Amino acid sequence: MATGVRVIEVLGPGCARCYETLRVVRHVVDDAHLECLVQKSESVERMADLGVMRTPAVVFDGKVVLSGRIPRTEELRQLLGLS
Amino acid sequence: MASTPGALTVKPEVGPWSRVALAAVAWTALYLLIEPLSQWIAYGLAGLPRGSHLGDAVAFFFYDVPKILLLLSGMIFVITVVRSFFSAERARRLLSGKRVGLGNVLGATLGIVTPFCSCSAVPLFIGFVESGIPLGVTFSFLIAAPVINEVALILLFGMFGWKVAALYVSSGLTIAIVTGLVLGRLRLERYVEDFVWRTQFKEGEDESAGLSWEDRFAQARDAVRDILKKVWAYVLVGIGVGAGIHGYVPTDALAGYMGKDAAWWSVPLVVFAALPLYSNAAGMAPVLQALVEKGAALGTALAFMMAVVGVSLPETILLRRVLRPQLIGVFVGVVTVAIIITGYLFNAIL
Repeated sequence: MATGVRVIEVLGPGCARCYETLRVVRHVVDDAHLECLVQKSESVERMADLGVMRTPAVVFDGKVVLSGRIPRTEELRQLLGLS
Repeated sequence: MASTPGALTVKPEVGPWSRVALAAVAWTALYLLIEPLSQWIAYGLAGLPRGSHLGDAVAFFFYDVPKILLLLSGMIFVITVVRSFFSAERARRLLSGKRVGLGNVLGATLGIVTPFCSCSAVPLFIGFVESGIPLGVTFSFLIAAPVINEVALILLFGMFGWKVAALYVSSGLTIAIVTGLVLGRLRLERYVEDFVWRTQFKEGEDESAGLSWEDRFAQARDAVRDILKKVWAYVLVGIGVGAGIHGYVPTDALAGYMGKDAAWWSVPLVVFAALPLYSNAAGMAPVLQALVEKGAALGTALAFMMAVVGVSLPETILLRRVLRPQLIGVFVGVVTVAIIITGYLFNAIL
């Protein structure tokens, strides 16, 4: 079993849509009292490593769960396995 | 024009389709209602005399605002559903191995239908170039989307009719194709930052695959809500200003500077003035309406809008991460020239 801290990354160059995505992620994480690290990354190398061509993207424990749009709260809860 | 999302393909047994069909019926009913309603508000409720300046302005306002908002909702819904079948990954697969020429045409077309926001330009650029898609084809893809903006397209359609809208799309496509071809010809690969060629871009998941209709409709609903939220104030103010100045400023006030018979340099002047400006399409459309109303030639006004919406400073700054300044300069230059030529073309045929 993985014991490390779970990580959610938001990938994007820093436009309004990326920050909106980050806000939704933080909201969902806080709301569910989820123990995890939320990071914002603007690194192009990271996008390349993960094959993300469309931003904003949400990466959960190293796996791309969404890319190219701002998630809805409910949708994100599902993607993170919260509901 | 009054045909609406999904109305033709309703399957009665499925939930999401019936909801869409219901919305389509409501949409059509509303669309048919706005004209009599605007007349009633202006001449009945407000009691303004028919043919009076104020009465016409009020009627115009209450007709145009709901019309544009309805057109936006209906068409953005349809466009988003169509776009949900396309993805950057699919575009990359379709474009890799394509030759210059056909590749540019396909690239520009895919650029319009593939949903992406301009801040994705950098990862898209690397992903495309890395998988062997020619530089020029990549540019055709990247330039098509901002030059042909869907909100601008709908607004043009609502304000000036389908001919202008069609001309806008075809000239935008041409700009994207030609720009890509020219940039490809110039062999500018050496002005791409070195790390781009070294980057290994992992094959990503295809976002468009495996979505249910319910997912696609949900995305479309979100898109409509987001765009209306962003745009309604501009539409309101823009049409309000249009209705307000109607008749007060002489209609040929701008004809001397921006009219059809104005000096040859009026198109380039307007385009250069527009380059540093950046606004969303919705903000531009009312300006366009006011300009044309006051005697500006449509081609000059459209070139102005394309330069404002299509060449965005934020996107250019982002591209600096992967392109050397020389290439950015050439890129902006070629697009600018293409827009200027389009302006002349519009003026000549409209």
